[in-house]
Amino acid sequence: MKRRLSLFAVFAVIGVFLIGQTCFAADLKVGIMVPVTGSEATYGKDMENAINLAVDEINARGGILGMNVTTTTGDAACDPQQATAAATKLVSEDVVAVVGGYCSGATLPTLKIYGDAGIPIVIAAANSTKLIAANPGIGFQINSTGFDQTATAVSLFKDKKIKTLAIVHQGDGYSEDLAKLTKENWTKMGNEVVAYEVVNKGEQDHSSLVTRIKSKNADAVFWTAYYADGALLIKQLRQAGYKGMIAVGDGSNSPKLMEIAGKAAEGVFCFSNPTVEYLPAAKAFAEKYKKNFNQDPGPYSALAYDGMNLLADAIERAGSADRQAIIKALGETKGYEGIAGPIFFTPQNTLARSNFVVLIAKGNKWDLYR
Amino acid sequence: MSTLDIILQQLTNGLILGSFYSLVALGYTMVYGVIKLLNFAHGDIYMAGAFIGFTLLSFFAGTLGNGWLGILPAMVTAMIAVGLLGVLIQRVAYRPMLQAPRLSILITALAVSMILYNAVMAITDGEYKAFTVGLGFEGFNLGEVYITHTQIILVVSTAILMIGLYLFVGKTMYGKAMRAISIDKDACRLMGINVNKIIALTFFIGSSLATAAGVMAGVYYGSIHFFMGFVIGLKAFTAAVIGGIGSIPGAMLGGLVLGLLEAFGTQIPFIGSEWKDVFAFGILILLLVFKPTGILGRTEIERM
Repeated sequence: MKRRLSLFAVFAVIGVFLIGQTCFAADLKVGIMVPVTGSEATYGKDMENAINLAVDEINARGGILGMNVTTTTGDAACDPQQATAAATKLVSEDVVAVVGGYCSGATLPTLKIYGDAGIPIVIAAANSTKLIAANPGIGFQINSTGFDQTATAVSLFKDKKIKTLAIVHQGDGYSEDLAKLTKENWTKMGNEVVAYEVVNKGEQDHSSLVTRIKSKNADAVFWTAYYADGALLIKQLRQAGYKGMIAVGDGSNSPKLMEIAGKAAEGVFCFSNPTVEYLPAAKAFAEKYKKNFNQDPGPYSALAYDGMNLLADAIERAGSADRQAIIKALGETKGYEGIAGPIFFTPQNTLARSNFVVLIAKGNKWDLYR
Repeated sequence: MSTLDIILQQLTNGLILGSFYSLVALGYTMVYGVIKLLNFAHGDIYMAGAFIGFTLLSFFAGTLGNGWLGILPAMVTAMIAVGLLGVLIQRVAYRPMLQAPRLSILITALAVSMILYNAVMAITDGEYKAFTVGLGFEGFNLGEVYITHTQIILVVSTAILMIGLYLFVGKTMYGKAMRAISIDKDACRLMGINVNKIIALTFFIGSSLATAAGVMAGVYYGSIHFFMGFVIGLKAFTAAVIGGIGSIPGAMLGGLVLGLLEAFGTQIPFIGSEWKDVFAFGILILLLVFKPTGILGRTEIERM
């Protein structure tokens, strides 16, 4: 008898839950796919915060087409396997669209899953050129791709009269792509890449790599991967007395890089998409972010915020929450004014204009170099 | 850089890397010696040690600063604290399993590893922590090789710890008991040796040494994270096997050999630094095929 009672209780709870669900059916559920654990969690949380901030503002304005927006997060953990699981989870939760995508390597396998389900994804940060080929037409990249970053990098090296270059990546989609493009561009200009190296993720000791770079007399070292391991490499390069120039890709654009590398980070160049502090239009956003989350908005928060607002704009233009209509509306975006600048898409759904800047580490913070 | 400079530089790199491997390998080998367990949670003990050392350092840094004056007490207290954690793990997870088949206790070790790893991940939100210390890059030049004072202090401290351990195991009654247990546990019990106490002591020492390595790695590299124990756990296990698992001098030697092999392996033409793990584990496989007992290991007769 007791057992039957508890069974009844369980069904009652499930019943109430189901009724609750149907009552809120007018909600518009948006998936967030970012890494919230693992080595890139800092960036991922920045993006999640920014998207939620945008959602709060949208709901305060009365939602999209009168529908209240809710979010659900899938943890991509910057890992292709975990990202696949996260994407499957978001699909099973029946989201209307997804915003996010930080690590290119982790975003890549999810595009097929979203494509099969017909769910649009606004890719806010991931910018490997490999995503273009893998995109079944549902992904929209609002960050400049590796091509643009390479052009910025090569022109800086040229202006700094660099002759020999060492390039180090981590073998993941994003950093390998950037390393390869830079190598191609650099050798095409008649210059030399004296070392083209890979380090394993999470490796702490780079001493033998440093010795290799030093023995090849590289004028500059270009680290194309993320900040945590990059900071260790910078520290160990300077510790071993390396005097050349060090530049890092946009994945290393974090104050944590300087926190870990300390004094060794001084004078390091970083290529970055315009971060919040260099965007006049983002001032109000930055203040609100600081007030709500009690921390500075990270490098990709502006793009994540734009991504959510662009999606809201597209749904409104589509006039319905139908996924096909949203995909069509996203593709037809003509100069949507985000805080990181106007958004136009190429036929491959990538951003039609570059937005990279060069930063330099000065006194434990990034300064705009040019 | 001339060839001589490169050799000298890689020798330095190999020695430092090898010191870390040796310290962690000692824990593997000691535990294997007394209870025949491959303690796969040992890499995570190293990681936990680094985090506890990090927490204690921020506590000591307030009064003693974050130079060596603050690092030393932080490291010593962390060694004691994590040593006790090691004893606790042994008491809760391993002691009840001592009579069970060896495979069961091995799986228990994997479970302990996951608990430690996930606990630290949950506590730290999976973030990298900057291990801020007030040490500069002061040092001296040896040809074109630059050696910092920090590097010298690390290698010397490792040497002191290892000599201390060697004397402890070789010259004291506790050490004698430890060696006796590794030969025959039941006979020891009949001779009136408190076997459980000695096993606990072994875990205490092993965990302390791993903590010393973890704190030193944090100081040296400047950042710690929850999965830092994984790779070094595997490497130290390799080092222990190279030296001969169960042999204490073997673990010390194995660590240094592995560190040097990795450093010099990357200098082989056409092989990039990304191949250094392949090199390390390749050596392990070759060794297991041709001399499974390791450099200093002894052949054991398995009595059925």
